[in-house]
Amino acid sequence: MQRNLRMKKELQMFVQSPPHGVSCWTNDEDNMTQLTAQIIGGEGTPYEGGIFKLEIQIPDRYPFEPPKVNFMTPIYHPNIDSGGRICLDTLKMPPKGAWKPCLNVSTVLTSIQLLMAEPNPEDPLMTEIANEFQYNKSMYLQTAREWTKKHAMDDVVQVTKSSSPESKSPESKGLCSVTDKTKDLKRTHPPQPLDDMTNKKVRN
Amino acid sequence: MDENRRNMLMKFPCLIPQNADFTEYDGYIQILDEEYRMNIKLPKDGKLKDTRLTCDWKLEQILKKYDKIVKQRLNQCENLSAFLEELGSIAEKQLCFQEQMQPTIQRNNCAQLISELENIGWEKVVSVNADFQSFQIKFVDLKQRQHVMQIKLHSQHPRQAPTIIVDLPVKFDIVWTASSTLLDVFNQFVHNVDLYQDLWNNLNELDRKTWILEPDNPTFSATNRRIAISANASIQITVDPKHPSSLPDIKFLGSNQATNPLRENMTSNLHLWDENEGLLHNLSSLLEVTFPSPSNSKKEDFSADCGICYSYRLGMEIPEEVCNDSRCAQPFHQTCLIEWLRGLPSYRQSFQTIFGECPYCSTPITVKMSIRK
Repeated sequence: MQRNLRMKKELQMFVQSPPHGVSCWTNDEDNMTQLTAQIIGGEGTPYEGGIFKLEIQIPDRYPFEPPKVNFMTPIYHPNIDSGGRICLDTLKMPPKGAWKPCLNVSTVLTSIQLLMAEPNPEDPLMTEIANEFQYNKSMYLQTAREWTKKHAMDDVVQVTKSSSPESKSPESKGLCSVTDKTKDLKRTHPPQPLDDMTNKKVRN
Repeated sequence: MDENRRNMLMKFPCLIPQNADFTEYDGYIQILDEEYRMNIKLPKDGKLKDTRLTCDWKLEQILKKYDKIVKQRLNQCENLSAFLEELGSIAEKQLCFQEQMQPTIQRNNCAQLISELENIGWEKVVSVNADFQSFQIKFVDLKQRQHVMQIKLHSQHPRQAPTIIVDLPVKFDIVWTASSTLLDVFNQFVHNVDLYQDLWNNLNELDRKTWILEPDNPTFSATNRRIAISANASIQITVDPKHPSSLPDIKFLGSNQATNPLRENMTSNLHLWDENEGLLHNLSSLLEVTFPSPSNSKKEDFSADCGICYSYRLGMEIPEEVCNDSRCAQPFHQTCLIEWLRGLPSYRQSFQTIFGECPYCSTPITVKMSIRK
């Protein structure tokens, strides 16, 4: 009962005053429990220019339990794993987590946006990325940027392609080089998660 | 298929097929000694379950309660004639039952009732139901408030008293003897309505000049009002219907910061209560407040949403718990707050009180679990 009352209000709020760089909508008008969101990569972060798609599931006991949020777009981040799971205290129940009913989908998405800008290597989900973030930051930034370009900029690339056909060849060349680099990456990283994600991306 | 059509013709000769496909029948069906008009439209695939049945109002009245059974039979029966036989037997059963239950109303009884209603005055009769056994009669008081009394005659009328439903703050018992008439009942009702004029005048003044948070649309029987004082304080008063001008029972709702001064004012101003003054005037001087009124404020200012479910109304409940920190003062529904605090590992309960923290500002908060009426 509380869930439906609340989701109605929350969706209204998303329409009236969406948080900066975040959008969220229902996939089906009658079902307020399955939401899709987009977070625009923050300026000055390696995710800049990318649009990251997330899936949100509202549990029955919401708002007494936190929403379940997963990244659909692959992202190279110490606190987000290859399945899109996010390690964020506000997404977990106390005592381990910090979910409170005063939070909502909008604030959760905003804090994910913040987490993207400020990874938390102390509590990593991907140890290797966390280590890289701490001890080889330039490497981390580079890879994260490449992943953003490869997975989160589909729409952006398409727009430039269709608007200026002359610039098509350098653009696609650029893309090729990115793929090559990710192939190199595959050797250093466990190959399985990456394959996973590419599959998922194709399905989408 | 042909077999079915022949069966229909043999058993229900008065239902005439309307087309060559035999998908529509129109005509009459005989139940006991009466014939009822009926139209049947079968779907193209001939499946009984999607059949559309229309019948005249008499048959509809008889079958009204058996909607589910009829649908079930439609699903079960193999062909139309078998279903119609079932339908016939359902209706027959109901007809026999009705005959046993309802002794036919005697004509002189009706004539008597009509003359009694005439004595009351037809302009006061709001409605009479089909079996002429219950009536709604209205009375408009001096302040143009319309009061409606519902009378349902006893099956042993006039030996037994009728059942009366009224909207009055105190239980309404009628005095009834075998020679009583409906006019007597009406006069007793009018007398009772007159008793509470003072109460309604006082409450209506409150309804007009203050923001009533509860009840939403007060009935004449409601003697309680929850009046908004500020965004996080309100009072709930319960007026004695017999002595509306005397000091009502007052409950303070809201954060301690907001309600404590009101409590103190009340204690020191008790001597100011003047029974010759109206309720609104007395309450204002007792609490030393000017109640926000519809002329200078919006109701939304006082009906803040619950911080957990984001709504004002949760079923019948409105947010009654308020965070005691005046900087927060976030209201919650009791149900919502308890459900949240209960799920926490830090949950503590002592007797009927739950201890926890405000989900917004983490100030300690307590909730008394009250048994809801």
